[in-house]
Amino acid sequence: MEFDGTTFALEIINFLVLVWLLQHFLYKPVTTVIAQRQAGIEKTLADAQATQNEADVLKCQYDNRTAEWEQEKAQTRQQLQQEMDAERARLMTVLQASLDEERNKLRAIEQRRNLEQRQRLEEEARAEGGRFAASLLSRLACSELEERIRGVLLEDMPHLPDQQLQALRTAGQRDGVNISSAYSLDEAQRAGLNQALDHLLGRPVACTFKHAPELMAGLRLSMGSWMLRASLLDELHFFAEAQHADAKR
Amino acid sequence: MASSSSFITEVFHIGPLFITNTVIVTWGIMLALTAAAWTVTRGIRLRPGRWQVVVEGIVAAIEDAVRTVLPDHYRQVMPFIATLWIFIAAANLVSLIPGLRSPTGDLSLTAGLAILVFLAVHWYGLRSHGLKSYLRHYLQPNPILLPFHLISEITRTVALAVRLFGNIFSLQMAALLVLLVAGFLAPVPVLMLHIIEAVVQAYIFGMLALIYVAGAIQSQQLKHSQEKE
Repeated sequence: MEFDGTTFALEIINFLVLVWLLQHFLYKPVTTVIAQRQAGIEKTLADAQATQNEADVLKCQYDNRTAEWEQEKAQTRQQLQQEMDAERARLMTVLQASLDEERNKLRAIEQRRNLEQRQRLEEEARAEGGRFAASLLSRLACSELEERIRGVLLEDMPHLPDQQLQALRTAGQRDGVNISSAYSLDEAQRAGLNQALDHLLGRPVACTFKHAPELMAGLRLSMGSWMLRASLLDELHFFAEAQHADAKR
Repeated sequence: MASSSSFITEVFHIGPLFITNTVIVTWGIMLALTAAAWTVTRGIRLRPGRWQVVVEGIVAAIEDAVRTVLPDHYRQVMPFIATLWIFIAAANLVSLIPGLRSPTGDLSLTAGLAILVFLAVHWYGLRSHGLKSYLRHYLQPNPILLPFHLISEITRTVALAVRLFGNIFSLQMAALLVLLVAGFLAPVPVLMLHIIEAVVQAYIFGMLALIYVAGAIQSQQLKHSQEKE
């Protein structure tokens, strides 16, 4: 345990020199680079924070925009729904009207078909009635009935309207009279008939007689464009035409 | 660890100045530390290499320790305290190299370091508070305590020097005696203890110096704080 003054003094100097050397070559460079790195880290953190803030702002804007879009979408959807409802209602109205029109049209067609069916049935019934009447009358037809019809004709002819009588006179005098009968007329009957026509037409006319069994019973007088029908066949035709006209009405 | 290197010897002299092996080893340590620092820091980069990481870790750890005790003045005090830690640790561990002895086993060196700590305490105290304000703390809390303050200043400086010298010198002596008595491999546990003791003693010396300096700097701060409150 020795104490040396020279060593003591030199060690003090040595230590102070070492402090300066380490300060110059160690502490200062190391603390400087640590400070620079720390500054770089802080700058990076600041940049990251700024980026984070910017991202937060953008996210906030995005969220707001998304919310606005959602609201607009909801409004648009609601508006579209209303338009769809209105369009559906309109189409339903149009469809209902079309259905009503179609239903009316079908009803009219059905009515017309029924009417036509009824008319056809009536026509068939009339035809059947006509055939039945014709069959019945053909069995009832006889010369006596024809004579009776001839008497009725001669009885009714003077009661024709004057204008018609005048036209008959003109036609009879010009073209003569063609007389068709279901039964053959004898001379007396022909003479009586000729005499009655002469009296009705006001002068003698030429009469031509013809046998027409299809008339069943009765006569048919033809004077030019005029024709007087007084037979069962013509009556049946008149009956059928009258029924047909009634059915059309 | 030759017996001839375990004692203080005069290597050469320059006139009246006798250069001992303590001073020579100290110069070697200074040269090695400076060369290592220069080697590492000449290519220092923001992206550190392996050795730069080690050096930055050491410096950052020392700086954190100083900042913990002196948050406001750590930049002024850190070079002194850090150099104490690094130099004493290196000086304590240098005896692990065969043929060399720890310069901290020389009372002249530990006394010089203790005197430097003593001067540094007052230097930082005066810089922080001024002469009157600094000297006034010796009269706190009562002037009657002034002799005890003065005795404390002297004794703690002596304690610093003697504690380091005694521990390192005794370690070297113990290792030498074990080697002489037990043979070649027996001192290995003692040398391992030497490593721990070397680091611990360096830490104790530097930490005590830091506490003394902090006490000098903060001696009036508590009173100022109380007066402000």
